[in-house]
Amino acid sequence: MSLSCIIVEDLQVAANYLKNCCEKSGQVEVRGHFSNVTDALSFLNSNTVDLIFLDVEMPGANGFELLDQIAFSPKVILTTAKSEYAYNAFQYNVSDYLMKPFTYQRFIEALQKIQPSKETISTNSASDHIYIKTDGKLIRLNNDAILYIESMGDYVKFVTMDGKKYITHNTIKNLEEKVSKQHFLKVHRSYIVNLHKIDDMRENLLFIKGNEIPVSKANKADVFRRLNIV
Amino acid sequence: MNNLKTANAFVFNAEIDANYLNSLYGDDYNYMQEVFNTVLDEYVSLTDNIEFSHSSGNLAALKASVHKIKPVFGFVGLTSVQQQCQQFEQICGTVSSPDQLSGEFEALKNKIFQSKLLIEEEKKKLELFNSNCS
Repeated sequence: MSLSCIIVEDLQVAANYLKNCCEKSGQVEVRGHFSNVTDALSFLNSNTVDLIFLDVEMPGANGFELLDQIAFSPKVILTTAKSEYAYNAFQYNVSDYLMKPFTYQRFIEALQKIQPSKETISTNSASDHIYIKTDGKLIRLNNDAILYIESMGDYVKFVTMDGKKYITHNTIKNLEEKVSKQHFLKVHRSYIVNLHKIDDMRENLLFIKGNEIPVSKANKADVFRRLNIV
Repeated sequence: MNNLKTANAFVFNAEIDANYLNSLYGDDYNYMQEVFNTVLDEYVSLTDNIEFSHSSGNLAALKASVHKIKPVFGFVGLTSVQQQCQQFEQICGTVSSPDQLSGEFEALKNKIFQSKLLIEEEKKKLELFNSNCS
């Protein structure tokens, strides 16, 4: 297992210790340390990570406000001692609490709780269709019927040719690995589009059947590579 | 050289929970020195926040600032001071103004001041120990 993470923690000694644990484990790559929510958010607006080690009480916005504002759903391990955050932690699908200071053994136990998301989708990336779980049933969607997929926090929305919208518990990051690479491309941290359905592209926007889809700077080169530009 | 370090184990001040430090860092005394250094680097700003929130009569900020420094004492093995911070936080929840905490606040303030001296002293001892072992 190799996880990318950031540490959001204003206590320097705690952040350093956490970095040390990550390095020692050989399982977690620390991509940044931020001592406040604003700086962390700025990083996460153009980068994704698998895991956030998150302190709750920091100067300015608190840790949960960060989770409210990011467009993807990383795993979260709280580094706080306050049990009064338990309800919020449940709401935000927090994987574990680490009470500072924690032992290395305890850190490893927290990492072991980071399991791949339960699949809500059954698919084969070479297949011409996928199944999504929504409203208590599995629904078959042909690749050709899907226009695009949009992130909605812990959920995603499939928008189809017939104008229907299907919402299911999943993430863009997870779907990116599951959907047919021939048909689909992630163009933004919140969007995967069906390349066969793009009508036109202007500046940083794709147009698909009247829908405007933003293209991020990070994904723009991939989009150009995949479009059949003559 | 590592054998020498193991043979002559560092002896912490009796107020420091050496077993607890061992559970965090094993016998990595170089890393412990780094931790003590970092703690001292941020000690002043953490204690300033406590002083300021108390003098400005802001109970919520006082509680939060004590909560913030609490784990710092754990990182240097001062588990009893960590507990004292915890108790102070709890008392904060039972009063309506910092003025009602004058006794507890003075006791905590003194403990925090004494702890800084102790951490400085232990850091010096660790520096000497590590330099002798290298």
